[in-house]
Amino acid sequence: MVLDLFKKFTTLWIILIVLAFFPIFTSTFDLPFWNDVVMRIMLLGMAAMGLNIVFGFGGMVSFGHAAFMGVGAYCAGISQYYGLDNGWYQLLMSAVSCGILGILIGFLALRTSGIYFIMITLAFAQMLYFFFVSLEEFGGDDGLIMDRSDFIFFDLYEPLRLYYLIFFILATVSIMLMLLIRSRFGVILQAIKSNESRVEAMGLNPLKFKLTGYVISAIICGLSGCLFASWQEFVSPDIMHWTRSGDLMIIIILGGLTYLAGPLVGAIVFLLLEELLPDLLHVLFPPISENWMIIFGPLLIAVVLFGKGGLMGVMGSKLKTAANREKT
Amino acid sequence: MKNNVLELRSLRKKFGALKATDDVSLEVEKGKIHALIGPNGAGKTTLISQIFGNLKPDSGDIFLDGKSITNTSVADRALLGIGRSFQISNVLMDFSVLENAIVAKISHSQETFRFFRPAFSDPSLIEGGFAILKRVGMEQMADRKVSDLAHGERRLLELALALAMEPLLVLLDEPMAGAGPEDTIFMTKVIAGLRGQTTILLIEHDMDVVFQLAERISVLVEGAVIASGTPDEISQNRLVREAYLGSDQ
Ligand SMILES: Nc1ncnc2c1ncn2[C@@H]1O[C@H](COP(=O)(O)OP(=O)(O)OP(=O)(O)O)[C@@H](O)[C@H]1O
Ligand SMILES: [Mg+2]
Repeated sequence: MVLDLFKKFTTLWIILIVLAFFPIFTSTFDLPFWNDVVMRIMLLGMAAMGLNIVFGFGGMVSFGHAAFMGVGAYCAGISQYYGLDNGWYQLLMSAVSCGILGILIGFLALRTSGIYFIMITLAFAQMLYFFFVSLEEFGGDDGLIMDRSDFIFFDLYEPLRLYYLIFFILATVSIMLMLLIRSRFGVILQAIKSNESRVEAMGLNPLKFKLTGYVISAIICGLSGCLFASWQEFVSPDIMHWTRSGDLMIIIILGGLTYLAGPLVGAIVFLLLEELLPDLLHVLFPPISENWMIIFGPLLIAVVLFGKGGLMGVMGSKLKTAANREKT
Repeated sequence: MKNNVLELRSLRKKFGALKATDDVSLEVEKGKIHALIGPNGAGKTTLISQIFGNLKPDSGDIFLDGKSITNTSVADRALLGIGRSFQISNVLMDFSVLENAIVAKISHSQETFRFFRPAFSDPSLIEGGFAILKRVGMEQMADRKVSDLAHGERRLLELALALAMEPLLVLLDEPMAGAGPEDTIFMTKVIAGLRGQTTILLIEHDMDVVFQLAERISVLVEGAVIASGTPDEISQNRLVREAYLGSDQ
């Protein structure tokens, strides 16, 4: 079964392998800063992969998934505030909290669809945002400075330990998702996206499957947020600002929302552009280097308009059926 | 009690002031092909939607095999044994023909919350999927994408999906609408072949098809059943000739 997975999802495997060896590159050329950029790519890529379970595979446009990242991050921050430093425990807390929140929010929000679903998910995310802003005890607006969590087997302050912890979780999530989207559950989820009323007519209650998908995606975003807190050594409501939910959606669309690897590809391109464009513009057109978004925005729109299926779609694969989709 | 698979009692449904279903009582006998005919806008689709649960009646009761299903969800009705093909093709457009059948097979197997083993390469599901396609003679087209199928082929696939759960009752809403003459002949043959295996409530405008297939016919006009009987009785019925057949023939 694992061998079978190697033959499919080629792009995802290539990205994971490159990520595994990336630190060799940075240490050879003495570019430790880039480890930091790539950790951010992995964290946002993981969250976007989680969101894409509902967005790309389930057809539910949830506009509030950064809230789950925020809850995960605060699970780390608040646990540490009370002296619970164990990172594994914090990851578990994040998963459980986001799972429960996912059930509650999903149960209410999934009664709606279309624009109402977008608005209601955004509304719940804003509620959570302002809830954390109001928590004076944990810094409110200003947030909470924290140390990297204690993962027992490896001290995150040793060089590269955090990098490989994030990589390990990302790889685990990726492999689980490779199995998930081809499983009976995953196939039903994609069938619901294709035609909900036919799935219902086949005797399947769409809500059950959509809710399960929603909870899985919330948990993955929570794990990403929990690690994000250690990476940033700081937690504030900023991590769950609605613009981050927007970023996650842009990342997915940019990379290609019908592909498992799409969100990772999107995160790589999105964050590299964010990193490189200002410098590039500084050299080429200094007057607008502050406003690099002027270039970034149209670039995104171009990919969305002309590259149907995002960058993954552009990269090849005219195969569109559900079975073939997973080959890339 | 008679052997009725479906029984409707005083079903009513209004859209605003329009009585789309007006006090409909109807019995569909087990194993029969029962046609529902009526002019455009008579309320045939609306009636079928209430039987399948897509629409809720304002009042009245629906019994499947003697048990009330008036408040049962669509998915549960499908599990209890109703299959439906819609007036406008309603299949999984992004999937292949076999994949459509496999999703139906997954539901039929009741093992839906499985998160690890791949579904589309599961031998038992593939076998089950092919069995579903075989009933409508589509096994040769298994690997075609639905979006590439001709209209008539999509109608055929939808019929296969409606039959996939081995339903007690199949609701077919103009199954050959938009299909070419050859497809219509083939589809008529397929439906005739189902006689005795399952019970069919068939909406159809083509009177040749109706009189070839149906053992009973009910005529719906402006939401109300104006006549129900054997094809002979219906073709003799003066009310029906005036209201409907007269304008058609
Ligand atoms: N959701 C709805 N809201 C309001 N009016 C509706 C709705 N659905 C159907 N109607 C109206 O109810 C009447 C019955 O419609 P229905 O689709 O059931 O007719 P039909 O017998 O299936 O017609 P056709 O042969 O054209 O398919 C029509 O006048 C239609 O305009
Ligand atoms: Mg109709």
